[in-house]
This record gives sequence, C-alpha cells and structure tokens, in this order.
Amino acid sequence: MEEWMKKAWIAIGFFVLIVPLGILITWNYGDAWGEWGSVSDGNTTWVPKECSGGAPLPDYNVPGWENKLMASLGYWISAIIGIVMSVITVLGVAKAIELWRRE
Amino acid sequence: MHIPDGYLGPLTCGVMYLVMIPIWWMAAKAAREKLGDKSVPVLAMLTAISFLVMMFNWPVPDGTTAHMVGGTLIAILLGPWAAVIGVTIALVIQAFFFGDGGITALGANSFNMAFVLPFVGYYVYRGMRKILGDKPSSEMLAAGIGAYVGINVAAIAAAIEFGIQPYISPGYCPYGLNLAIPAMAFAHLTTAGPVAAVVTALVVGYIRKNRPDLLAEAAPAEG
Repeated sequence: MEEWMKKAWIAIGFFVLIVPLGILITWNYGDAWGEWGSVSDGNTTWVPKECSGGAPLPDYNVPGWENKLMASLGYWISAIIGIVMSVITVLGVAKAIELWRRE
Repeated sequence: MHIPDGYLGPLTCGVMYLVMIPIWWMAAKAAREKLGDKSVPVLAMLTAISFLVMMFNWPVPDGTTAHMVGGTLIAILLGPWAAVIGVTIALVIQAFFFGDGGITALGANSFNMAFVLPFVGYYVYRGMRKILGDKPSSEMLAAGIGAYVGINVAAIAAAIEFGIQPYISPGYCPYGLNLAIPAMAFAHLTTAGPVAAVVTALVVGYIRKNRPDLLAEAAPAEG
C-alpha cells in the first residue's frame, strides 16, 4: 500500500475512535429532519412491517444498548463493521467489473 | 437526508428506482472503461470515509441533526461516476444493516446523495477552478464550495421528494413543500454544508500533495 494511504487509514482509525461523538453531541436532539425512525402522525405505511425495521444493528446500535456508554460502544462496533463491509463490497464490485471488462 | 420507509408513496419510490437504473448502469460502464487497478483501493477507502462521515451527526440549531456525505470528495478525486458507485454502496449497507434510510426509499436516497450530490459538487468544483485558478489554495477553496453547493442541492432534492407527498400520495409524508424545503435547507446551509466544505477542502489538499495525478485525471482538459 502506498505510504499516503497508510497514513490516511491511520487517520480513519482515529476518527473511528472518536465516532461516538456523532451520537453524544446530538444526544438530546431529535432525529435529522426527514430521518425519522418510524411512521407516525396517522401515517399508515404501505411497506409491510416484516420488510421494514429488520436491520440487525438499527440506528448503528446493538438493540437494547440504551445508555450513553453502551450506545457509544454499539456505535463504535457499527462504524468498524460498516467500514469493513464498505471496503469488501467495493473490492467485490470492482472485481465483478474487471471480469466484465475481460469478456 | 436518509429518507426512511413509509414517508414516500409507492409512486415516488418506484419512479426514483426507475430513474436510478440507467444511472447505475452508466456508472458501471464508466467503471468498466476507466476504473484502474490503482483507483480501486482509493475508491474502497473513500467509500469507507463516506460511511464514517455520515455517522458524525452535528447538532442543528433547530433541535435536529445533520451530517455530510462525502460524495463531492469522491467525485473530485475519482470522477462523479465513481462517486455514484461508492456512495450507493454505503447507502445500501446503511439501509440493510443499520436501518438508516428505507429500502423502499433507496432509489430516492441514491438519487439525492449518490447522483445529485456528487455531480453538482463536481461541476461546481470544476467551474470554480476555472475562475479561481490552479494554486493549491484555490483548488481547496473550489473543493469546499463544490461540496457546500452539492450537499445543499441534494438536500433540496430530498425536500422536494418529501414535500410533494401530501399532493400526490396523501397518507405518507405529512409535511408539504412549505415545511420540507426550509427545514432541509436550514440544516444543510448552517451545519452539514460547512462541515462538508471544510472536510472536503482539507482532504483534497492532502491528496493533492500525495497523489496529484488523481486530481489531474478527475479534471480532464476537455472542459
């Protein structure tokens, strides 16, 4: 790996360490406008219940880890899992595109 | 900006998926032609950065939160079609594994964050570079302005998708354009926009020092 990318990954690692700030500094705030969790206000969704809300780590947390400490831990785990999945998926898509190119 | 399930009616969700199909196809074709071996690890890293920066929520003075996306950054470094691929991948992972953004709304969310945002950000950046010149500081400024405009136009696009629901699909998003546009614009003009501008400018400055060839490839001379 090129030297500048190693340094960049170290910087990413640092931001992963402090990622719980992303929930802690907004702890008593509402959701982002338009990012509400569930349908409310007399709104009956056409999305079947079983197709929605089935995410294994909803809201970047382990279900039930509600207090600030546990939610920070859940957020931290989510960041690591998300980053690993992002890298693997990009490499997989790039591989598929390379195979397509060789056709 | 991640629209959840149940706020866009079936018509909007369907149309947004249909709009995205040719865009995803074009992105795949562009990658087939141009995404070289040296760019792939960079795209993987930038996609991870996009995922991570979207977890940094910032407080908006009206009591809500907002975050940047990183789409303009990928577009400046690897081109807007690569940004379509990277941000779409981050959005798919967020929707399926973290419940952030609905699966039915994935077409709309991809249109806003993986298409409108990087393309607007990229072309504003290109335009600003023509005006500001080639100095490293002007390049960083152009990147910051591109990111700022890109995320705000994307937020307005999301607001329009929400805001038309009361008129075309009653029973979904209850807020009309008169509420959706100011709310989304306020969060992104004041909070997510400035964050996106600073982060994008700093990373572009860092990459310019280390991989100036990436920036040269992304800004071909044909104008």
